[in-house]
Amino acid sequence: MYGGGNVFEATKFDDLQTEDPVKLAEFEARIARGEKIEPNDWMPQLYRKQLIRMIEQHAHSEIIGALPEGTWITRAPGFRRKMAQMAKVQDEVGHAQLLYSAAETLGKTREQMLTDLINGKSKYSNVFNYPAFTWADSNIISWLIDAGAIVNQMANAKGSYGPYSRALERICAEEAFHLKYGHDAVVHMATGTPKQREMIQAALNRWWPPIMTFFGPSDKMSTHTETLMRWKVKMASNDECRQQFLDMYVPKIWELGLTVPDPNLKKNMETGQWEYTEPDWDEFKRVINGDGPCNAERLAVRRTAEERGAWVRRALLNPKAKYVRPLA
Amino acid sequence: MSLTSLDPRVTRLNLPEGEAPAIEPKPELDQFETYEVFHQKKEGAAYTYVGPVHAPNEEVAFLFAKEQYSRRAACTGMWIARTEHIQVTPYAGDGENVYDMVRAQDPTEQSEQPEPYEIFHLKKRGKAHTHAGRVMATSYQEALQEARNQYGDKGPIVNVWVVMSKHVLQSAEEDKDMWTTIPEKKYREAIAYKVMDKITKYKEEHKTTAS
Ligand SMILES: [Fe+2]
Ligand SMILES: [Fe+2]
Ligand SMILES: [Fe+2]
Repeated sequence: MYGGGNVFEATKFDDLQTEDPVKLAEFEARIARGEKIEPNDWMPQLYRKQLIRMIEQHAHSEIIGALPEGTWITRAPGFRRKMAQMAKVQDEVGHAQLLYSAAETLGKTREQMLTDLINGKSKYSNVFNYPAFTWADSNIISWLIDAGAIVNQMANAKGSYGPYSRALERICAEEAFHLKYGHDAVVHMATGTPKQREMIQAALNRWWPPIMTFFGPSDKMSTHTETLMRWKVKMASNDECRQQFLDMYVPKIWELGLTVPDPNLKKNMETGQWEYTEPDWDEFKRVINGDGPCNAERLAVRRTAEERGAWVRRALLNPKAKYVRPLA
Repeated sequence: MSLTSLDPRVTRLNLPEGEAPAIEPKPELDQFETYEVFHQKKEGAAYTYVGPVHAPNEEVAFLFAKEQYSRRAACTGMWIARTEHIQVTPYAGDGENVYDMVRAQDPTEQSEQPEPYEIFHLKKRGKAHTHAGRVMATSYQEALQEARNQYGDKGPIVNVWVVMSKHVLQSAEEDKDMWTTIPEKKYREAIAYKVMDKITKYKEEHKTTAS
């Protein structure tokens, strides 16, 4: 799972003047024709850098995103839910593997990506820096965070980079189960005892502010953003994704008699757009930069897993092994 | 003080609290080399590329591949090959045929006797390579020419992968039942969750309060 929260900053590669104009024109014409780019094709530096960054962040989000729900496997109420929760968490870790490989085809190794994750150099979706206090929190994540991720992933699957699209197609197929499973869990609580209703409402109240930041702040429309949209790296603006999410899920929350903790949330029938209280972007920035309730724990857990497994990996390593980038 | 978490398992790890010093960059091959995986969706279908796995050796690669690529989708067979062993042609544009672009090349390495090679075609960018067939040759270069003669005129082909058959680990015919999924795993299918009944019932019961 993955949220925008993904701010496409200008980089030193923004200057397309340094690119070979003939190759650049061919590259752009290929994308304009609707063809996909494959790993061995010539591509501008900016395209490569932004895709690595985006796919890498997506991969980290899957692997870190497995932690808050993973917490609840041992305490899931009942055997069937335990099995389902486990299957979902395993899917998410599998998504990370698929995505790391897609990013690797662009030239960054999995070793480099994992190092950057643990050292805080690469980001992951900010929502996972918040804790899952109760089983109900886990249900809200399974339903609504995955719902947000699906909005993003469906858009990105239509992007121009072949390996990323292939991975996303596989991922989207599995997400259908996550969404239904999460919805079912929330419905169960919402239509259950007064205590269960109270728990799910409390969890929704806790998760709503992070959910509203999931797609990231409104994009600044710059030539940079335009370029990435033309190259089909960025497929929809953060606001478009947020609006789509609200359109699809607010009615489903309301039909359960639950309240969304934002008195200003309503659909403007004239514009067709949802209006809402502007999320707290200062908090978003503070948390994404390390100062959230769970940042330290998430990275410590990942780091420990890497460190404790290192000797096994070293023992298994074939001395004749040679690194080659995955093909596609 | 060690890190306390809502997750008792994390608390029991006794991790130091506060900021940890940066780790050394992971050494090369810490995550092993990669293998490319092909699956067969149903009996008789051509093997199709599904993606890579990282693994320390062929056996583990096969297990990881089975887990990653057959856990959630129908599968009746699987092949894996080390990425290093696959030779790749340049990519043509959609609608073109890459065989028209590659010229015959001298072999870099040659065997005395012809050996089998597996040929995979990509028909359209963004799609997956599928198995076109097997050819006999004494080198990768000769195998590609053979492939061109035998399968080269079958419509647009944007890319070709060539790999010696002996470098492909194939699941065995007699192990077929490893691919059957037990029916008790319905809990991980979307269709197992029928929420509408519960929602409708809830709405019925709360008609007066719902606006
Ligand atoms: Fe997810
Ligand atoms: Fe996922
Ligand atoms: Fe998911």
